Amino acid sequence: MNNIVAIAGVVIKEMYRRKDFYVLFILTVLICGVMASVNFFNDDKIVRYLKEICLLCIWICSLVIAVTTTARQIPSERENRTLFPLLAKPLTRTQLLLGKFLGCWLACGLALVCFYTFFGALAAAREHHWPLLSYLQAATLHWVMLGVVIALALLGSLIFSAPSANTTICFVAVTFILVLGRHLNKIALQLPEPRRSVLYGFYYCIPHLELFDVRDLIIHNWPPIGWTVCGVAALYGLAYAAAFLISACLVFRRKAIN
Amino acid sequence: MRSARLPLLILVALLVFCFGLAAWLDLWFQSWRGNRAQSGDLLNVLMGDSRRLFANHFFVKADAYFHSGFYPTVFDNREAFQTPHMAEDSGTVGGRNRGDEKGFLGRPRDWIDAFSRRLFPSRHTHLDEGGPSGDLGNSSQVREIMPWLRISAELNPNDIRTYTVSAYWLRERMGKVAEAEQFLREGLRENPDSYEIMYELGRVYSENKNDQAHARNLWEAALRQWQKQVASLPDPERAYKFLFVEITSHLALLEEKQGNYPQALAYMELWKTRSASPDAVEKYIEEVRRKMSSVGQTQAVQAGQSSGKAP
Amino acid sequence: MDTLNPPKQMAERITNGQVPGTYGSDSPPSFAYPEAGPSPQAALDPVLETRSLSVTYRGRGTGQPDRQAVKALTLVVRRSEVFGFLGPNGAGKTTTMNVLLGFINASSGSASLFGTDVREPIARQRIGYLPELTYYYKFLSAEELLRFYARIFKIPKVERDRRIDAVLKLVDLQQARKRQIKTYSKGMQQRVGLAQALINDPELLILDEPTSGLDPIGRMRVREVIQRLKNEGKTVCDRVAILHQGELKVEGSVSELARQHQCSLEQLFLKVIGYAAQPSN
Repeated sequence: MNNIVAIAGVVIKEMYRRKDFYVLFILTVLICGVMASVNFFNDDKIVRYLKEICLLCIWICSLVIAVTTTARQIPSERENRTLFPLLAKPLTRTQLLLGKFLGCWLACGLALVCFYTFFGALAAAREHHWPLLSYLQAATLHWVMLGVVIALALLGSLIFSAPSANTTICFVAVTFILVLGRHLNKIALQLPEPRRSVLYGFYYCIPHLELFDVRDLIIHNWPPIGWTVCGVAALYGLAYAAAFLISACLVFRRKAIN
Repeated sequence: MRSARLPLLILVALLVFCFGLAAWLDLWFQSWRGNRAQSGDLLNVLMGDSRRLFANHFFVKADAYFHSGFYPTVFDNREAFQTPHMAEDSGTVGGRNRGDEKGFLGRPRDWIDAFSRRLFPSRHTHLDEGGPSGDLGNSSQVREIMPWLRISAELNPNDIRTYTVSAYWLRERMGKVAEAEQFLREGLRENPDSYEIMYELGRVYSENKNDQAHARNLWEAALRQWQKQVASLPDPERAYKFLFVEITSHLALLEEKQGNYPQALAYMELWKTRSASPDAVEKYIEEVRRKMSSVGQTQAVQAGQSSGKAP
Repeated sequence: MDTLNPPKQMAERITNGQVPGTYGSDSPPSFAYPEAGPSPQAALDPVLETRSLSVTYRGRGTGQPDRQAVKALTLVVRRSEVFGFLGPNGAGKTTTMNVLLGFINASSGSASLFGTDVREPIARQRIGYLPELTYYYKFLSAEELLRFYARIFKIPKVERDRRIDAVLKLVDLQQARKRQIKTYSKGMQQRVGLAQALINDPELLILDEPTSGLDPIGRMRVREVIQRLKNEGKTVCDRVAILHQGELKVEGSVSELARQHQCSLEQLFLKVIGYAAQPSN
């Protein structure tokens, strides 16, 4: 565990010393600032459009941070040859991979804390009301979703040779699942066999990342979700993350790294 | 030295040439019909006519906001959402909705579908009825649909319903009569022949400013436009009929309220020709005739009294 | 050294200071390598041992045949030795080191460090490795890098700070310890590499072309560091092994080989690899 935490610490240091997070955060602040300054019919109480734009920016930025940070971890270690002095230490490859995952996940978690704090302040400035519980649930579910994406990107970084290919494929896959994942069963039911079974099987296999997208509940001030539901969703996400990580460990153990 | 000067001279010559060419082409470009730069609208310059494709998306988004996020996608049963509810409830467009508006999702098809319904809005509510809380004190939350309607109007200034729907909610729930009138006038500038906007502007004057004369003028103008544009068609669509009925009914009731019974009767007869319930309109007509006859009897009595008194 | 304990128990013994010469033990901290004055019996213990080690790289499926990089290599390095591993490019030196460091698996045969199979990570607890190309995390400073590696070696926190100060002083990087490595010159990066190889006071130090890529001043500085280590009781190149095309050609002490073949080490090297000497005019 000590080794895993040590590697995670290095990944977190890398994230806050690179400029990616700051650029994306400032971009989000600027976009939200510009949108907040727009006057719609002289009403300064309109807030939901702002919440939606802010949350959309947060989701895009967090996915960019998660995928790009993770996709370059192992490839850049190999390219920069920092992998060799590292693996020459009493450290297993599994510990290295878990350390990278934990580091990326915690780094994304810290980024989410910053983003959601900004979002909360922005919403509270107009609504004068702060549903902390709902925000906490949304942030937690978002973080779990990022864990699945990070594990997927880590597996991809071991399969695809180029980080750019891995990044592109991850973005396409995640966007596909977020936009269409919920509807694949409806599409499947309209198809004839055997395509119906194939698509339905695919529907069951993919990680349903859209389950963690509770933005509509936050934007439109719905009551908080039940904690049991949150817990089950989190377990579902962690199970998929674990499955991807186990696959990544199996691939990495067999990979020649020289 | 010579070799250092030559590239510099070539560069200056090229710059002079480009400047001259730009000056010569600019005259032609200004007169070019397709020149989007003549428009002051940034979206028009950037996107051209393709911006209209997005306008409907934002109009539907406003309706999704009206429902606090509980809204069918293209994969769901949309029979009950063919006419956006925010437009239907505003009384500015005719409704074409059928089916169960609460059950467009259908029954859950699998456990993932069933579980996912706990993680997104899953109850039919309207913002003007308080939204998810159901608290009518929150009915002004309908303001949240305004940004999307504004953006939709920017993207497609020729979509009439954006102006009429926005104006209704601005004046009815948000108390912003001046803004509603201004927005309608903007729409009228972009669509000078729009009887829908004239009608809605008439409602602003009649219901919020209590200026019946102005309202009458606008409704009469709207009726003239309607007759000019639609009456010549063999079978005007239900939407067109709906507006005709609205305009004539409002005119009729206005005239009746102001005691102009013959004019009221004339509008009622028109109203009856395209009403879905002609019997109900007939009852109105009879009532007005009764009033007319009693007014006529009263006038006759008064006339008789005044002539009796004369030397 | 007890070679019968399974690796996990060995790790605990090392961490608890029960193995002499490692941190936490009673023996004084030292960068003498190996530590001076071992017992006669301990001096004969193999620290590195390969038995019929073979590594074959498979062809990539485009008609290329399999290539045997190391062929049945058997060698032993004992405690208190400095062992030179020589050979031309492509001889199999790096492949052998990659197997010893666990980067690749052997196709057949075995390799062990301090009696522990090299496939166990704990085998690397007592070694220091300086790779040929030294690149480290550019966003870290030298101090942070050493702290990270020290943590992996499970060096206690108090001991960690002292060791970091000592290795940075040894490699003359105290002034630059807080600067990020991306601001370092090549020579400084090489010295950081040496520092990280020494952070755990290793019993076996593997240096892969430690002066490669350096200018004369850089080479001089690295030699100075190695000289400082040597001054604590080392001789340079007690024994050498020369590899060629994956096979061990000769092995023995420098003086013995020179006497046996009646030529210098350089001439012996050329003779072993089959390089015919040019006739002088």
